[in-house]
Amino acid sequence: MSNTSLTTGPLSGLRVIVNATGVAALYAARLLGTMGAETILLEPPAGCPLRREGPFLDEAGQASALFAYLAAGAHSLICELDTDHGRAMLGGLLAQADIFIDDTVLAGRQASGLDEAAVAARHPQLIHVSALPFGAHGPKAHWTAEDIILQHASGEGNLLPNGLSIELFPHRSPVKIHGHFASLQGGLAAALGALAALWARPEQGGQYVDISSQDATLAVGAFAIQRLGDGSVEHRVERSFRYGGVIPCADGHVELLTLEQRQWDGLVKLLGEPDWALDPALADSLERSRQGPAINGHIRAWAGSRKVEDIVREGQKLSVPLAKYYSPAEVVRDPHERVRGLFQPVDVAGVGLLDMLVSPFHVDGAPLVLNGGPPVLGDYRRATVGA
Amino acid sequence: MAKPLSGIRIADFTVHNAGPFCTHLLSQLGAEVIKVESAMRPDAFRKPHPVYGRMGPATFDQVASTKLSVRINLKKPGGIALAKRLVAVSDVAAESFRPGVIGRLGLGYDALRAVKQDIIMLCVSSSGQSGPDSHFAGYAPLFGAWGGLGEMTGYADGPPVEMRHVMDHTVGMNAAVATLAALQRRRATGRGGLVDVSAREVASSLLGEALLLAAAGQQPHRSGNDHPRMAPHGVYPAAGEDRWIAIAVGSDAGWRSFATLIGAAELADNPRFATEPLRHANRAALDVIVSQWTATLPAEDAAERLQAAGIAAHASWTTPEIAADPHLRTRRAIVDVAEPDGKERAAVGVPMRLSKGAEIGIERGTPKLGEHEDYVYGDLLGLTRAERQALADDESIY
Repeated sequence: MSNTSLTTGPLSGLRVIVNATGVAALYAARLLGTMGAETILLEPPAGCPLRREGPFLDEAGQASALFAYLAAGAHSLICELDTDHGRAMLGGLLAQADIFIDDTVLAGRQASGLDEAAVAARHPQLIHVSALPFGAHGPKAHWTAEDIILQHASGEGNLLPNGLSIELFPHRSPVKIHGHFASLQGGLAAALGALAALWARPEQGGQYVDISSQDATLAVGAFAIQRLGDGSVEHRVERSFRYGGVIPCADGHVELLTLEQRQWDGLVKLLGEPDWALDPALADSLERSRQGPAINGHIRAWAGSRKVEDIVREGQKLSVPLAKYYSPAEVVRDPHERVRGLFQPVDVAGVGLLDMLVSPFHVDGAPLVLNGGPPVLGDYRRATVGA
Repeated sequence: MAKPLSGIRIADFTVHNAGPFCTHLLSQLGAEVIKVESAMRPDAFRKPHPVYGRMGPATFDQVASTKLSVRINLKKPGGIALAKRLVAVSDVAAESFRPGVIGRLGLGYDALRAVKQDIIMLCVSSSGQSGPDSHFAGYAPLFGAWGGLGEMTGYADGPPVEMRHVMDHTVGMNAAVATLAALQRRRATGRGGLVDVSAREVASSLLGEALLLAAAGQQPHRSGNDHPRMAPHGVYPAAGEDRWIAIAVGSDAGWRSFATLIGAAELADNPRFATEPLRHANRAALDVIVSQWTATLPAEDAAERLQAAGIAAHASWTTPEIAADPHLRTRRAIVDVAEPDGKERAAVGVPMRLSKGAEIGIERGTPKLGEHEDYVYGDLLGLTRAERQALADDESIY
């Protein structure tokens, strides 16, 4: 019925049902599925809305790159939750499942039997994960959001851009992190919550896990709150390292960050030990911080006529923390990632085989394995669930 | 009932932010996390951080809260032996040194398995434990650069943007997920395991769709606040100095509601804006119209009105606004913690609410260096006072 037998990940043997219209819930399932759980995506006859969300891999706009990434390895089951038949099918599925991830808006849950109490009554051993933009509890639980909204509701949105970007454009509006950063944090938190609750299941039984993408994005931005407690209110204009950061080069940008004395010493060598850098006062890290803008002026003047690859190559020899700002294409063909198996070819219907990012971690010295690409709508046969 | 991870013990050798955030999350969920430091190599928060503008030690460290603290000098053979004794009574050993360092110390996976056969070892590093770049040193901004997230973030006509601590902490969240998965496998099979988290790959995992486009031969590029489909979609000026509101209109119905709300219902059928593709094509003109409306209102008021009309919107919040927010406090996403001097300050809680078990989240503030050695060395490892003194005398406990 499924390709579970091919799965060797640490969560092999678990079954996850996901009812998702948004990124957070589906990403949570993707994480669990990539680690070996069997995942089944419930879809209406028209398909999950994320199938119609760009960007697209084809000119016709039929193959969503976003859906392909999030749903890779999952099965698809058409299930109409607004019908008795669909609800009965769901009941059968949940009876055999370990984890149920749902992002139905709160106002729509009771009618579909998806509210916390109803699910707990019918499936006392199930881990029921709610993944909503603002969570299922609290005065804003009914608020709606897209990723840009969540980034600004959790603080990071107001704090970007920084460094070189805001130096160049000090009067522009804040800018968001690429893509679905906040919703992906929600997905991570949902996976974490699901596994924490699963760990407690032998003692506590099933339970309800309430995830908010706002909370999750705030959590990863915790240092702004920490600095607030220290008496410092961060602002994007000042939120940059005193020197280093994004450095423009002749053919691109590098990131430079020297936190330790030996790294600064290496940087001075990389720069050719110019007179300004040999000023004895700059041997003191506090003084370097005070003179940060002037130091950056020198570094940028030096880097502006040099190529990124040359700077990175020579800098690494001197243990100076330097990184090229890689484009997506450079990441995909990066020799380091090829060796590590970050990408795996999977079939995307209508497009063909494409290299897909699998997972940012290895287990037991080997990359994880995707069960496949995104599912064709309804690929999971109803007969297999007894509905 | 207990917290969900009650009974799990973690020997925590992690440093900087990414690894410590992982164990911080797990500690809030009930794991007993024993943070290993020494006076020779104290945690970064105990020292000044001048590049970041902090000229003295922090009085509170979010990611060290709730952990227990012991001193072990890993430069001494006695310290290594002590570390192994700690691992032998732990479920997880976590580290985030540069690849190879923990092995050279004598605390690599094979060495730890020899003292605890089913140990879960978590290794967090900038580029992973394998591959030609595995020796690279890195910090959050470098992870974002290598991983592609920095290049894809920023104004379309500007430079890439440096990722900050959110990058570290996203690495930590991934590491926590992977660690719990490995524990789940141990429960099912009895096997321990080695978890290798690559920070630059975590950055890449946040742009999986763009990487797929690149794999298909397209050239995705940074696009500011634009959305592939929606318009209006952006951050707009609100009334007041440096005040902003984020708005996203995701459907034709939403657009009609928006036009009505701003008192310009005729815009709904304007030939430049009547359909989503038209709005997207003419988004620059549309943004001017939206800005003219938002600039007249406080961001909070505008957001309330838009949400009441079913339109996604939120004020662009500053940190003090977040710390005071009733919604976040109701959810315990923001909590108050006590400083050593008794003063209270806001901190960030664990990002979930569970229906069962004891209350999760921060239990204690930042530990003092070596604060919990009586419990760990005495109660847990059974060392006598004399044995502890001998280890202190040879600077294994230092």
